Amino acid sequence: MRIFRFVVRRLLQLIPVLLGVVVLAFLLVRVLPGDPVRSILGQNATEEDAAAARARFGLDQSLWQQFLDYLRGLVTGDFGTSIQSGNSVGSEMALRVGPTLELVVIAVSIALVVATVLGIWSAKRANRVGDHSVRMFALVGNSIPEFWLGLVLVLVGYSILGWFPAPNGRVDPDTNLTPLTGADLVDAVLTANGPAIASAAAYLVLPVLTLVVGVVAPLLRSVRASALEVLHSESYAAAKAHGLRDRTLHYGYLLRATLVRLPSLAALVFGTAIGSTVLVEYVYSWQGFGQWALRGLLYRDYPVVQASVLVIALCYVLVFLIADVVHAILDPRVRL
Amino acid sequence: MLSIENLSVTIRRPGRQVAALSGVTFAVRPGEVVGLVGESGGGKSMVARAIVGLLPGGSHATGRVLFGDSDVLRMDDAALAAHRGRGVAICFQNPRGALSPTRTIGKQLVDRLATHQDMSGDRAREAARELFEAVGIRSPQRRLDAYAHELSGGMAQRVMISLATGCAPDLLIADEPTTGLDVTLTREILRQFRHAADTDGRGVLLISHDLASIAEVCDRVVVLYAGTVVESGPAAQVLREPAHPYTRALLRSVPDVGGRPVVATPGAMPLLTEAPENCPFVARCAHADRTCSSRRPGTQPIPGGREWSLACFHPQTRPLDADLPSTSHTPDAGDAQPAAADPKPAVLEIEDAHVVYRSRFGSGGHHALRGVTLRLAPGETLGVVGESGCGKSTLAKLVMGLVAPTSGTVTVAGQALVKQPGRPRPRGRALRRARTRAQLVFQDPIGSLSPRRTVGDSIAEPLRAAGLSPAQREERVTAVLDRMELDRSILQRYPHELSGGQAQRIGIARALVGEPDLIVFDEPTSALDVTVQAQILDVIADVAADADRASVFISHDLATVRGFADRVVVLYLGRVVEEGPVDVVFDTPRHPYTRALLGSAPRLGGTAGADGEAVELVKDLEEADAATGCPLAARCPFVTDRCRSEQQELQSYGESRAACWRVPELPALIGRQAVTP
Amino acid sequence: MAELRAAVSGDSAQTPVVVAGGDRDSRFARRMIIVGATILSVVALVAVFAPLLSPWGETEIDPANTLVAPGGNHLLGTDGNGMDIWSRVLYAARLDLGIALAAVALAVVVGTLLGLVAGYFGGWLDDVLMRVVDIFQSFPTFILALAVAALLGNGTINLIITIAAVNAPAYARLVRAEVRSLRELPFVDAAITSGASPVGVLWRHLLPNSLTPVRVIAPLNCGWAMLTLAGLSFLGLGVSIPEAEWGAMISLGAADVVGGRWWTSVPPGLALFVCVLGFSLLGEGLQDRANAKRR
Repeated sequence: MRIFRFVVRRLLQLIPVLLGVVVLAFLLVRVLPGDPVRSILGQNATEEDAAAARARFGLDQSLWQQFLDYLRGLVTGDFGTSIQSGNSVGSEMALRVGPTLELVVIAVSIALVVATVLGIWSAKRANRVGDHSVRMFALVGNSIPEFWLGLVLVLVGYSILGWFPAPNGRVDPDTNLTPLTGADLVDAVLTANGPAIASAAAYLVLPVLTLVVGVVAPLLRSVRASALEVLHSESYAAAKAHGLRDRTLHYGYLLRATLVRLPSLAALVFGTAIGSTVLVEYVYSWQGFGQWALRGLLYRDYPVVQASVLVIALCYVLVFLIADVVHAILDPRVRL
Repeated sequence: MLSIENLSVTIRRPGRQVAALSGVTFAVRPGEVVGLVGESGGGKSMVARAIVGLLPGGSHATGRVLFGDSDVLRMDDAALAAHRGRGVAICFQNPRGALSPTRTIGKQLVDRLATHQDMSGDRAREAARELFEAVGIRSPQRRLDAYAHELSGGMAQRVMISLATGCAPDLLIADEPTTGLDVTLTREILRQFRHAADTDGRGVLLISHDLASIAEVCDRVVVLYAGTVVESGPAAQVLREPAHPYTRALLRSVPDVGGRPVVATPGAMPLLTEAPENCPFVARCAHADRTCSSRRPGTQPIPGGREWSLACFHPQTRPLDADLPSTSHTPDAGDAQPAAADPKPAVLEIEDAHVVYRSRFGSGGHHALRGVTLRLAPGETLGVVGESGCGKSTLAKLVMGLVAPTSGTVTVAGQALVKQPGRPRPRGRALRRARTRAQLVFQDPIGSLSPRRTVGDSIAEPLRAAGLSPAQREERVTAVLDRMELDRSILQRYPHELSGGQAQRIGIARALVGEPDLIVFDEPTSALDVTVQAQILDVIADVAADADRASVFISHDLATVRGFADRVVVLYLGRVVEEGPVDVVFDTPRHPYTRALLGSAPRLGGTAGADGEAVELVKDLEEADAATGCPLAARCPFVTDRCRSEQQELQSYGESRAACWRVPELPALIGRQAVTP
Repeated sequence: MAELRAAVSGDSAQTPVVVAGGDRDSRFARRMIIVGATILSVVALVAVFAPLLSPWGETEIDPANTLVAPGGNHLLGTDGNGMDIWSRVLYAARLDLGIALAAVALAVVVGTLLGLVAGYFGGWLDDVLMRVVDIFQSFPTFILALAVAALLGNGTINLIITIAAVNAPAYARLVRAEVRSLRELPFVDAAITSGASPVGVLWRHLLPNSLTPVRVIAPLNCGWAMLTLAGLSFLGLGVSIPEAEWGAMISLGAADVVGGRWWTSVPPGLALFVCVLGFSLLGEGLQDRANAKRR
């Protein structure tokens, strides 16, 4: 199985990359200006208090020793202890990844479907009114600041119309949802908690919509451009000149050829969406990974920053790996 | 079946208007092969587009394109859909591009069968296999699951033909079906179209720029010039005694392996903005008078010719050969001395050079040249011929120092231009000056000019390296411009504003301006239109005749080489298989490969191959491999075990040398092959 | 290629059959370029003449009127500090436009030089540069911008460097790819055989030709740089109050929006959106035009 071998090879290649990321993240946090210990101790802490706190987090040891300790922890799955909260970073992160992935996966999936359908539709009507509207929509999506769009949606959807819940969480606490994965909609479905499903879905609408508008734009442009390229290509013209039926043309000659280049862009967009969640979560008080990592960064919480950098990098390269496999399946010219 | 009546197409776009076709009239009947001939800009493709109802945006069309009883121009969408494929199917010019890259070619053929012949499932697949077999695809069952990118050019063209015939059309259109194919394959592909007309009774419209090569399979030809039909008539007659001056110019522009010299026609095809009021050829015609420039000649039948008509006030009646010098003669053949007797130091010396392109990941690699030895004296012109993939371009790059030999040595005017084993190489400014001693004229004339530099800048480039002052540079540049018969105003222009012919003159000017010792012409005319090609060949012949300069002329087209080379080298899969004085090699070829090449080259007047002794190679180039022994072993009809195991060295046979031990027996063997084909 | 469509159904062969299309493509592109350029010119003029156009100073506080609704003395109301929104929206054009343009210019220069060198010379230099680019590109750009901003700290110059650093790798990769494909074209061989030096080939032949895609990407990138800058400020890692910057202004008003006080956040966001849209229109139009030329 060629694809299987390819995946294994790529996973092995990941190891040095991730190791590099671990080293870089470790060094990066330590050159950040600011002292993590000072931020938890408050104004009138003495030098001794600070030294004691440093010793508690192992920050008094040599850089080399700290790194080895960190590595040893990583191997056993221990990401360290948060300086801010004093909790295990691993368990904190486990609570935070689910909600963010839920947002991103739903948004990117919706965006992919919308972009494919609308992009091909638009290319087939190139330079007519419908096409121009789609292009303008993509341009607007490209230009709109997500955090501001989020605020406007809150203003309209909650403050004015009152259709959606306030931007203060992910699910109504009264529904007594038992968290399993952290992704509330999934948890609600798994526990068959009817009210929680409704509530989680209602909370999801605005943030997902915010993300979709930003994420769909580049996908839409790309699908439209490649569909146009296929429509203008000699091979499509040949199929058309040979009088093939519209259905055959659409499914046999347009669709797959158009989607060939989508996977790698989708992976890129997935990354962009992860970046955007930092802003979107902030607007909707969505207690997710982005907010957690941002706070770690602002308070120089070394273990938190290290862990989140590693997780983001891992997530990103895995998504690109998936994209490469999908690309190879779609495009016979690609050799794995 | 197809009858085009007075078809005119004008394309209007903001800022420009082009009269693509003006009053085109001709017909194609079932079972007939009609050739549509002309240079680019003549309107050939526009005719094809009109027939399938795919005119470009902004077109205004008048006249009729009658197919059966209905007019294609005025069909509604449903009728057009039914017409395309079933009525007319096109084989596109670039077959690999015209096949969908993401669908297997078998599926693409089944799509056609399903749409037009209501086949499905296994029956369609079986029919597809048969069609593949019919067009000469080996192991068709396996090929059904191949993708377009896995096919070679010749294979892709066969698939394209099968796709078009799979629609079961009444009319088959082939747009330049043999462009980019080797001579040995060209004939085979053309025969497929004759076959489609003869056995299935389809009408066939063959579109080509090369009258001579398609004439053999055509019943009639239609010659287009600037969107008008200038002549149409029986193929053989038009080829032998063309009546229109343009047709004559077209034929005379094509060199011929027989050694007939090329006669260039000055000027270029006009780009018309509206239907012409006069004869469109008037500016380039030697017979033109006041009538020609004031009125447009109507189409008149020629008495004595069956369905032969032309649009000219001064029809020519003599056969084409009559106004040409009858003796085969090559310019400046007399003053060339055999290289060995020349006391002057060699300009170019290649000793047992090998070039291996390593593949990026370690193992293997492509062995482009395998032990080539050449020596060139000043004033000498060497022709290099061979099919695609024989290593011609690598040889050019090797001479220019753009690739390094993997083993062996190359020197130009005594200096090495790249790092090579055991030779000092000049560096820095000295290297740059040494480089300018050899100059290259490229195949793609426009692509060889820097897109964002002016023409003047490009020509002066070699002088910059030589360290000349701006004033000296200007002087040299204007001198060379005059020699190329170009106007000074061209110096300020950019490459995309040039025509192919102009760009190639600029390319030659750049090569010439530093007065190098050696000029290499790498397929300099293959990207040009036929009459422009003749003009450029004239210029090159003039340049190559300079006494103190050596030239190498590389071409896949044997005929162009014959025109002005002193000696010729035939390359096959990176090896020299035959070498000798040009007339000797062309008139009495020794090596089976040279015989095959010469045999499949088209000739005017319909005389087939060299004395009817054509050697037919058994397989396509792509399937041959040369591991040990003679490189031609896989394709040669006279192959023996000794050929397969023994490396062949060049041996002298008369004045020429060939790398084949069976040369003495060949004439007898060829006689036998002719008897039992 | 367009469908054949009979404009007039008649029998006469002399009635022309017209195929529509051909010119609408370029008209739409031209319109996008014109609208985009107009928007940007207006924003640039506003940035230059902000003091003349705004009734209040950039950081001027009207302590008696905090968080007042639009109308009266304050065209678009005031924020929680009593600063005039309208005036600050105008003033903010200076920082936003200035930082974005400077950052993209810096990224283009650095990225292009690196890409040129890596693409032309190849070898270990290329390997090293591309691995660095790989690492940069294995993070979402906004996350990277956050990290670099946290590293460098606030300040105009630091923000310019941050945004440039995040963008430069993309230009390096783009130019490198372009150089590598250009290198295979005959005109480069022609320059070498004409005795041009490596620097001559790079400077006179490869650089001018490899800038074509950069010219198209740069305007789009300016828009993106503005969004990044605003995003950083929104999270408190960019420009901070009291300086006028659209993202920081949105951030300041974010809490009020939930309560329905839209005027603190909506106007600066709208200004930012329109300005970025200007860049997007310009970039898209240029891209269309480049595609049309290639076709």
